[in-house]
Amino acid sequence: MLKTRIIPCLDVIKNKVVKGINFRNIRVMGNAVEMAKYYSLSGADELCMLDINASYQNRKTFIKTVESIAKVINIPLTVGGGVSDLSDITDLLNAGADKVSINSAAVKNPKLIRQASLRHGSQCIVVAIDGKRHKDKMRVVIKGGREITKNELITWAKKVQSLGAGEILMTSMDTDGVQNGFDSNMLKKVTSNVNIPVIASGGVGSLEHFYLGHLTRSTGLLAASVFHSRKYKIKTVKKYLISKGVPVRL
Amino acid sequence: MKKKVIGLIDGQSGNIGSITKAIKDIIKGRPYQLKIIKSHFNYSSFDKIILPGQGAYATLMSNLKKFKIIKPLKKYLENNSSYLGICVGMQILSNQGYEDKITKGLGIINGDIKKFRNKKLIIPHMGWNTINLNKDDTIITNSFDKRDFYFVHSYIFQNIKKSDVLAFTLYGQKFPSIVKKGNIYGVQFHPEKSHKHGLNLIKNYILKS
Repeated sequence: MLKTRIIPCLDVIKNKVVKGINFRNIRVMGNAVEMAKYYSLSGADELCMLDINASYQNRKTFIKTVESIAKVINIPLTVGGGVSDLSDITDLLNAGADKVSINSAAVKNPKLIRQASLRHGSQCIVVAIDGKRHKDKMRVVIKGGREITKNELITWAKKVQSLGAGEILMTSMDTDGVQNGFDSNMLKKVTSNVNIPVIASGGVGSLEHFYLGHLTRSTGLLAASVFHSRKYKIKTVKKYLISKGVPVRL
Repeated sequence: MKKKVIGLIDGQSGNIGSITKAIKDIIKGRPYQLKIIKSHFNYSSFDKIILPGQGAYATLMSNLKKFKIIKPLKKYLENNSSYLGICVGMQILSNQGYEDKITKGLGIINGDIKKFRNKKLIIPHMGWNTINLNKDDTIITNSFDKRDFYFVHSYIFQNIKKSDVLAFTLYGQKFPSIVKKGNIYGVQFHPEKSHKHGLNLIKNYILKS
């Protein structure tokens, strides 16, 4: 039976893991390579890392960090943040990423999804979608939620699937960073309209939130703060999920 | 003592970084050497060949053709020499693949590579799933039975002889997760991404065969 994946997410600037609430009030949580190694050893099913400040200077250090992480873990690594074209994707794959996640660039230029999946295979192209409610509609937002696009969320999710995305990393900007639980309503809408894997992201604060995330039919559950702050160990989350009858890898 | 030569084929089908590192860690301090194969090679100068692959069947076959690897690889396999195919590196052992278009494979293990039958499944089959061994094996020993490995694929080995299936996995249907014929092994999952059990599997393949 396919197991639900528990995926710690590292928001990275250069080589440091940081955390901010709704992308503001950034604080350093630790060294990215050390934290990645720790998560790989302690039972993470996959690792996600995002360059949240992809300026030209920071980028070089970030790519070196990806290389260092790929060398010390032996679970799949998804890398995103600041991916704007095909050459960025190639650079990250060459640095050791197994999957690359595209966000704003896909919204601005949807063809990029098709080109990337044709060149590298759908299995390594993740489209990250940030969703937010706006005037009673679920919309796609970019720039960390600062810009609301014209794209209706479900239409966009279906479109990225048809363009060849292998997976959707779905973050609700309405719940991200506040630890009140995943946006079950938004996630269910997405999972019931696509048949590629969906990773739920944004809002985990308690063990029960992981279980509720699983009930949305998301096959991956992503979390940051609860792991970085050592509130929960990955094993603790998995044991809890097993007690609720959710299949996970121990 | 003469070192055993392991060939790792780079078919430009996904990243070979993880598998390269895994092999190097295993053979460190042992009488083995690793050679990366990128073009035509002398099939008799290798003791083992590993072919990792990701993405499409047709892409890997056309790359291997372009790099003039198909002919020596076929000879190598027809000699029943030791081989480990990973993901698409396993799939191309079949007669043909049906991804995008029909592509002829290496024809070493009878069968076809076709999409999962159940239309309601989430595709790709992505994540950790359990392998169930059909029989004990010198390399894939009982200790691997019921262990989880990392999968990412949309196509599976079909119309394969039961005796060529070493392990199966369940995802909407039963499908072969390890195939074996003589000294030729193929795994549908990614051992190089499957943490300790994956690394142990690669280790057994290198050291026990």
